[in-house]
Amino acid sequence: MLSTASMERILTAALSHGGDFSEIYIERTKVSSVSLLNGVVESTGSSIDCGIGIRILEGDKCVYVYSNDLYNEEKLIRMAKNASASLSEVPGGRTVYLQPSISYLSQPCQISPSSVAKSEKVIKLKQAGETAKAYSSLISQTSAACADTEKEIWIANSDGLNVKDKRCRSRLIVQAIATDGNDKQTGYFGPGSGEGYEFTEKYDLDEKAREAARIASTMIKAKPCPSGKMPVVLGNAFGGVIFHEACGHALEATAVGIHSSYFTDKKGTAIASPIVTAYDDARIKKEWGSYDVDDEGTPSTTNLLIKDGILNSYLIDKIGSRRMGEPSTGCSRRQNYAFAPTSRMSNTFIAAGKSTPEEIIADTEYGLYAANMGGGSVDTATGEFNFSVNEAYIIRNGKICEPVKGATLIGKGNEVLMNIDRVGNDLKLSQGVCGSVSGNIPVDVGQPTIRVSEITVGGQA
Amino acid sequence: MDTRIRSFIDTLLKRAVEEGFVESEVYFESDASTAVQALEGKIIQFESSDASGLSFRGLYNGQMGYAYTEDISDDMIPFLLSQAKDNCKVLEVKEKITVYEGDKEYPEFNGFNEELAKIGYQEMADAALALEKETLAYDKRIESVDDCFVAYSSGTLLIINSKGMVCESQDNSLDVYVGCRAKEGEDVQTAGKSWSFSSLGDLNISKCAETVGKKVIGKLGAHSIPSEKTSVILDRFAARSLLGAFAGAFSAEAMQKGLSRLAGRVGEKIANDNITLIDEGMIDKSQFCIPFDSEGVSAKRTVLIDKGVFTSALHNRKTALVEGKESTGNGFRGGAKGSLGISNTNFHFENGSLSFDDLLKKMNNGILITALHGLHAGVNAISGDFSLMTEGFLVKDGKITEPVNQITIADNFFDVLLKIEELADDVDYFAFDGAHIQSPSLLIPNVSIAGE
Repeated sequence: MLSTASMERILTAALSHGGDFSEIYIERTKVSSVSLLNGVVESTGSSIDCGIGIRILEGDKCVYVYSNDLYNEEKLIRMAKNASASLSEVPGGRTVYLQPSISYLSQPCQISPSSVAKSEKVIKLKQAGETAKAYSSLISQTSAACADTEKEIWIANSDGLNVKDKRCRSRLIVQAIATDGNDKQTGYFGPGSGEGYEFTEKYDLDEKAREAARIASTMIKAKPCPSGKMPVVLGNAFGGVIFHEACGHALEATAVGIHSSYFTDKKGTAIASPIVTAYDDARIKKEWGSYDVDDEGTPSTTNLLIKDGILNSYLIDKIGSRRMGEPSTGCSRRQNYAFAPTSRMSNTFIAAGKSTPEEIIADTEYGLYAANMGGGSVDTATGEFNFSVNEAYIIRNGKICEPVKGATLIGKGNEVLMNIDRVGNDLKLSQGVCGSVSGNIPVDVGQPTIRVSEITVGGQA
Repeated sequence: MDTRIRSFIDTLLKRAVEEGFVESEVYFESDASTAVQALEGKIIQFESSDASGLSFRGLYNGQMGYAYTEDISDDMIPFLLSQAKDNCKVLEVKEKITVYEGDKEYPEFNGFNEELAKIGYQEMADAALALEKETLAYDKRIESVDDCFVAYSSGTLLIINSKGMVCESQDNSLDVYVGCRAKEGEDVQTAGKSWSFSSLGDLNISKCAETVGKKVIGKLGAHSIPSEKTSVILDRFAARSLLGAFAGAFSAEAMQKGLSRLAGRVGEKIANDNITLIDEGMIDKSQFCIPFDSEGVSAKRTVLIDKGVFTSALHNRKTALVEGKESTGNGFRGGAKGSLGISNTNFHFENGSLSFDDLLKKMNNGILITALHGLHAGVNAISGDFSLMTEGFLVKDGKITEPVNQITIADNFFDVLLKIEELADDVDYFAFDGAHIQSPSLLIPNVSIAGE
């Protein structure tokens, strides 16, 4: 890895012409993966990603250069100088000195995933595949996979900051496909953790395999979902993806800082129903979306986004802080060295309320129960979002009735937040991957069971 | 090619033999790019990169094991070989996989434009600033151009294996994206579009600005409509997104694994008589020519659907061998890090005979769909079911009228293939759209639309 002296020379070169701030992000990441289809090991992967990103700021202007040629200091200095020269042709600058380094350990692992033989991981995955297959004769295919990441990063900047961090993450995936004639339906779970192999070892993947098989074999018998506007009860855990998309992204400084978000200038005002309180909390120990220090070297926070319906805080990174005149909330993240960091979410969830899930259902005369959500996306300028639902049922007279397939929920984020009229007491988090300007990053979404008084449901019926 | 990289590869392949690999191959990719972003009359972001990655794969114990590194230093040779070997020890792939000896001839293609390579920071910055300015100037209701990027990138690909095959290619392109926001009263609408050029002379800033400006202004006043079953036209952009979402169904790998409804159906009628679907690596004059796939198989032309009849799947060498066929040249990796799978090259429905305006007249009343959203989530790639957020315009008496949004469209891709009533003649590989998948506008009757 580059020495402190090398980093100082690069940071100095990065301010040789234009720029009021320079930063280096170096990373070395080991990734190991195994995946099975129908109990057969179909693919395995082992990789080392490594590289350096150099960022220069001048006001809210940003220059970002990256390379994975870490052995060529001369080249890196040349890249830094050229980047600086793109901001100003006039030589200037200052010499950067780094403070003694501070080491973080965002995600300590007890058992390094790369120290465990893949054959051991395969045993667990085969078992899960068999469990899913055995659940029902409708299950035609199963897949199971695991992927572990061990990431080491070094962040240094012209303010003298000098930080190291180690992050270890493990993820398991199980999927069951049910077949009936030409129709195929899928049940899927992808639990993850900010831990090492100890997570994989102790996790009850069989239970999730049964759940996945249950969803697939239930949905294969389902009728097409009816369309139109109706009340929707969203199940807990991954149901939180709706809040992530419809609200979380629009609170990011990436959109708010340039006034493109529909939540711009709304701090202190009601943006959600008064029963909604929500957090972005990067400090939950061992959680998939957690970190102690963000990718700019700022310590992470527990960020209260919405308190009793009132917008309390945005998600702000360094550039966002300069644009908005508010301090960073320690949420600057990136997929890897190839991306300049920006404001992103970590573990984002709606806090628990008072109702039990049973009460919420019993209180609904007619509507859709979206028990398990799929993915979705949002336009942060208009608020328009869309989500697919993986497991859904019709609610009739306060009871969960027949399953329905192919449901899509669409609407506007700001309207949905206002229309949340029940919040359950069964908060749970769920793991996913969020894709945005600074790449794909691990995040948790979460919520208790909630009810939205009206959402447009799109279906084939 | 950098001599340091070349010597690393030579040493790696030599050491692989010593380590007991029966066959081995190196896939090396190197990319450089420069990008600028304009906002409010300033260049607010400049990015420049230079990155490469190297993947080794080797045959050991009858299995093909992979390992990848971005750290290309001699210390990494033991890592690559030991990891690939460990991977071979757990793999249980039944089909035989080998590396390819290469074809005698490859199509001539140079995807690298020397003139374009001379583009500098200033030219890109000027283009981005002009694009922002002209987009804003298109209409005073356009409040902001939130995303305005101009990027130049170049790449090198090298595949070398123990059977003596050497495949090398180089390409470069200039990519432009502009996304803007318009406001009228409380109504906010956004629109964006990307382009990819292989020569600077093709970039027409005023045309790009006008296209996006027109698109966003056209959406102002959009509203939802009551749910109904109706005729729709998917314009060529919406049609190609739909085709792209289900392109995987044509992969022989998906069929062999029971993950495609088309498995075992070659020779059957799967689409209306007016449908012909083609995959071709080399399209005359297209900037997207792909002379060889990731296994080194030279580009082919494959007719997948011929006048409604399913004629062939897309194959790589592994799936072709299983069925006693030749590879169709569709063995691709998703970048150097990925393992070998199957994907399309230039993939398109053949044009119909009607002009777009005549297609509108033919439908008379219905909805023109201009975009499909949430394709990563709202489709069941195996069953063909889809339910997607969409937007577009009402068509009355053959004419485009008011804009609609906040609606969904739901149907089944395989049913759609059978009921496409008419295709327009507007496939355009030369519109600098940056897309490998193309379709003419499609008229489809009896589709579920959900709204208010």
